[in-house]
Amino acid sequence: MIRVENLSKHFKVFKHHRGAMGTLRNLFTRQYNLVQAVNGLSFEIQPGELVGYIGPNGAGKSTTIKMLTGLLVPTSGELSVMGLLPWRDRQKYVARVGAVFGQRTTLWWDLPVIESLNLLQHIYKIPAASFKQNLDEFRTTLELDPFLDTPVRALSLGQRMRADICAALLHDPEILFLDEPTIGLDVVAKERIRQFIQQVNRERGTTVILTTHDLSDVEKLCQRVMIIDRGKLLFEGQLDALKAQFGGKRELLVDFAEDYPSPQIEGAEIAGREGGRVSYRFARGEIAASELIGRISAKYRIRDLEVREPQIEETIRRIYEERLLEN
Amino acid sequence: MKHALNLYRRLLGVQIRSQMQYRASFALELVGTGLIALFEYASLALVFERFDNLGGWTLGQVAFLYDMAEFSFGIMDMIFAGFDPSLFGQNVRRGTFDQLLLRPVNISVQVLGSEFTLRRIGKIIVGAGIFASALALNPVAWTPPKALLATLMAVSQVAFFGGLFIIGATITFWTVESIEVVNIFTYGGNYMISHPMHIFPAGLRQFFTYIIPAIFLAYYPALYILELPDPFRLPAFAPWLAPLAGLSVLMAALAFWRFGIRYYQSTGT
Repeated sequence: MIRVENLSKHFKVFKHHRGAMGTLRNLFTRQYNLVQAVNGLSFEIQPGELVGYIGPNGAGKSTTIKMLTGLLVPTSGELSVMGLLPWRDRQKYVARVGAVFGQRTTLWWDLPVIESLNLLQHIYKIPAASFKQNLDEFRTTLELDPFLDTPVRALSLGQRMRADICAALLHDPEILFLDEPTIGLDVVAKERIRQFIQQVNRERGTTVILTTHDLSDVEKLCQRVMIIDRGKLLFEGQLDALKAQFGGKRELLVDFAEDYPSPQIEGAEIAGREGGRVSYRFARGEIAASELIGRISAKYRIRDLEVREPQIEETIRRIYEERLLEN
Repeated sequence: MKHALNLYRRLLGVQIRSQMQYRASFALELVGTGLIALFEYASLALVFERFDNLGGWTLGQVAFLYDMAEFSFGIMDMIFAGFDPSLFGQNVRRGTFDQLLLRPVNISVQVLGSEFTLRRIGKIIVGAGIFASALALNPVAWTPPKALLATLMAVSQVAFFGGLFIIGATITFWTVESIEVVNIFTYGGNYMISHPMHIFPAGLRQFFTYIIPAIFLAYYPALYILELPDPFRLPAFAPWLAPLAGLSVLMAALAFWRFGIRYYQSTGT
């Protein structure tokens, strides 16, 4: 569905001179720094996938999304989506995809939400029947009814995001690009958006590409993840594989029934203790959680225990900090 | 094409409804822009009180030129407001322009439909009123060709100013911080066109004859309508070149605009 090969985008950042004369100089001088925003990116995305695209600020996420949505022309490399060249076949292409940029709205600021949506019906030439069917469905699943007649300028961020997502889906796009769809939202609103994204992906088979810096979005939604940093792909694959390959140590939390001064156990180290609760750290692959629990319960009396997987935040932070994937 | 026109009509409807939500502000701006147009004319009249003529032209003759330009610029400013360089530059920086590129509709139609400043009506009405009174100051006999040329003049000037706006908007793809440079084009063009061209130095006048054909948009039609002699002795059809001049500037602007969009797509912001 999406095929990207050796894709690069380099920008010339011109040196700016201030003041009136500076402005004139800016028009005619050609001094610049070359910024390699995206550098030799290759990946493929299959129909129906829900892919997380993550990376720190300035890593090249937005630049990639802008190329995928046809806003930017690549400097070099190949990019083909549904057999089209996004930037060249702009009108034809954007009719088949939807995009939501978290910090902006596609809706008309002073219009009630419903009027914006009606206008989009005409913009995308959506047949009346499928427009009505989609709108009815999204009104329920996104709970739009309470603010359908409110001007967009008066919506809360969460409401606006729901309206924007609805707007991006009315024309049954085959691909949905979501750029930071949960940015600035509270926990409840985030959860609602996530559930909806998952539902759209499952029930409609829409391919979803999601950029975010909120890793819980990725953890809850995406089977596959791509990590980009400094314009290059650091990792591309299943989320589980990422954890297995680079994941830190797993944690076993044990509440002891008695007070043991030093409940040492072979195969794990004590990471901390708090009253009767001790946390052990152990490496995946070296010892199984069940084996470890067996060893502990053979020596001590246990009240309760819990296994914690390494947090994805930590995993990714380690990849960045230790540059584990640098060749 | 039909889809684009239909959509343009709808987008205009949106703009008008949006502006009507702020009635008080709309009314104030309506009156405000009208008053400004009135004061500008009054200051012109005051200059004539003192100097009596401008390069041999009377108040009525200059006012004819001046208010024709005022009226046309007002109409253009209303229709082409989406291309207003200062506004458009902001939209590029804020990413609003990207949102337009994400929709499957001709981009120029969308920009045109993204703004429609109805409040310019104030300026347009006052401009038209003063224009009518300027006509009364000129004792010329109106003939059908003259009326036709006056109409063509207004339409061509709208196209010309619209072209300048489009050129200005396109320049903001390169330089967002220098709206002043861009304004030299739009408001400079307006200034040139609203004064009798023979008062300017030859170099400047030739620039506005052969490079930017502004002289055919105002000065020559005015010579014909006001029955004034042509100091530069161009062929008799020169006044009728107005539509050609307006259209060619608009076409050149649209070509530049398309080039600018290609540049924007290769650089972003």
